[in-house]
Amino acid sequence: MNEIVLAVRGVTKVFDEGRQRVHVLRGITLDVAAGELVALEGPSGSGKTTLLSIMGCILTPSSGELEVAGRPVRSSHEAARREVRRLSIGFVFQQYNLFPALTALENVEYSLNVRGVGGRPAGDEARRVLARVGLGDRLGFLPRDLSGGQKQRVAIARALAGSPPVLLADEPTANLDTATGAQILDLFQELAKVERRGVLVVTHDPKVRRIADRVVGIRDGLLVDVDGEKAAA
Amino acid sequence: MVSLARKNLFHDRLRFVITVAGVAFAVTLVLVQVGLFMGLLDKSTVTIRNAGADLWVTSRNTPNIDFARTFPETAVLRARSVPGVARADNLIVAFMTIQLPSGAAEGALVYALQDFGSWSLPWSVTQGSPADLKRGYAMLMDHSAARRYGPFAVGEQREILGRRFRIVGTTLEAASFTTTPIVFMDYRNAQELQEPLRGNTNYVLVKLAPGADARAVQAELRRRLPYNDVLTREEWARQSRDYWVKSTGLGMSMGVTVFLGILVGIVIVAQTLYTSAVEHIKEFDTVKAIGGSNLAIYRILGEQALIAAVIGFALGAGFSYLARPLMATIHLNVLLSPGFSAVVFVGTVLMCLGAALVSFRRVAGIDPALVFRT
Repeated sequence: MNEIVLAVRGVTKVFDEGRQRVHVLRGITLDVAAGELVALEGPSGSGKTTLLSIMGCILTPSSGELEVAGRPVRSSHEAARREVRRLSIGFVFQQYNLFPALTALENVEYSLNVRGVGGRPAGDEARRVLARVGLGDRLGFLPRDLSGGQKQRVAIARALAGSPPVLLADEPTANLDTATGAQILDLFQELAKVERRGVLVVTHDPKVRRIADRVVGIRDGLLVDVDGEKAAA
Repeated sequence: MVSLARKNLFHDRLRFVITVAGVAFAVTLVLVQVGLFMGLLDKSTVTIRNAGADLWVTSRNTPNIDFARTFPETAVLRARSVPGVARADNLIVAFMTIQLPSGAAEGALVYALQDFGSWSLPWSVTQGSPADLKRGYAMLMDHSAARRYGPFAVGEQREILGRRFRIVGTTLEAASFTTTPIVFMDYRNAQELQEPLRGNTNYVLVKLAPGADARAVQAELRRRLPYNDVLTREEWARQSRDYWVKSTGLGMSMGVTVFLGILVGIVIVAQTLYTSAVEHIKEFDTVKAIGGSNLAIYRILGEQALIAAVIGFALGAGFSYLARPLMATIHLNVLLSPGFSAVVFVGTVLMCLGAALVSFRRVAGIDPALVFRT
């Protein structure tokens, strides 16, 4: 059986908005295994971004447990969560979130610097992952000089740098044309299968179903099967 | 290591230029203003520092060298009798009126020594010799007098308090805080010109014998001249400087200028860094999302402030040093020392880092969860 790299157990999240308590997540349990690509679908307001933030150790759950790369995350300690983000999770954002003043190479190298890798090893690793996503010839390009697909590839390279076991992607194809989006999805699939990463993609894109090992839906803070029914416990 | 701070700073060139210009402006303002002030103060003590006297006997409570008061010239005899005194001579420093060929009258600050040959007054003679001052009504005139009196030449005559004096030589760098030109003449001639000076002097210059204890000689002079002040060269220079700084409001005026310069620098740097921080919030969100701490972001802002400080200081200091010869052509002496420049540099760095603190507050509350919001 494949190793579980991301485990969410009975996670809830409640936000206090004035006098109201909003239950955004109502007890989510979800595993992602190494080499598995899971798609998370849901309409706006269903709680998928909150779930993604909790899985990415950015938000703390109100209750429940989280394990990343086999290690329980002590959610109350920001420093501990930051450490998990630094070492075990790669993020891919819908808007790419590249640093506009840095070249493709520097964008990746900088994320390695944040992860504690510096100097020549950082440069070598950045070149390796950029070559891995097919941008070996675009190292010195600033984001403004890259196409949307190329920007997303840089973002993926940045997420891959340092070899985190978990990749979390938020609507990675939302700003891309159909053909480019398909290439990016193929890349995610390859990363899961070839590099044995646990990949979770939050998406509205129906094409993700084509490549996902599993598709999980979320409605009103609960996981459902993709047809909208409540998922079996 | 990739410096996001430096890259971001240089990426937005207009903002960078504004930031650096703000710092450079503040640095220039402080350096030039303080330099001008120091230049002025330097003039207030230039004769004290160059005369070659170890001790100065003045009338009681004389505020500075230009505003001299009289006391009996026989005091010099008592000074000469003190053990440890190698030489003591009377010095007159008095404002007098000089008549110019144009018919106009101007002020002159007369320095009259009993024996110019034993002292370094004047210390920079470009034409003639102080020894010639003994030859009748003769005077040495400083080059700077040409600005007030018009051109003059050795051999010409000028009238001082109704008496014709021949210009027998010229000097350099002899200046007073009040900008009144300095002329040197014989002690007896000066006494002849002004009734109150007859039998009186303004100062007694004292040179110590080799190995003499300055403090002991000073104490003995004070004992023997109880109605005078006896000051070391440094004490007298400090007292003269302090008079202009404290009694005239010049010190306060300069302090306000320096404060305004620093304020302008802080406001510009704080404003541009803050705007920059706000515009890069999304990037800082990303830094935190991928595992960076608040400290990492503070470092980015701090490094940007430091770069602005160093480049701004370099430009401001460079401009100030370059402006010195230009300002000298309009007779403004900007006195800049490496020590003071170092103080301004440290102040600039602190100013910029202080300005960055405003941005620290803004980024401290960044929520990395915002990275998932479009």
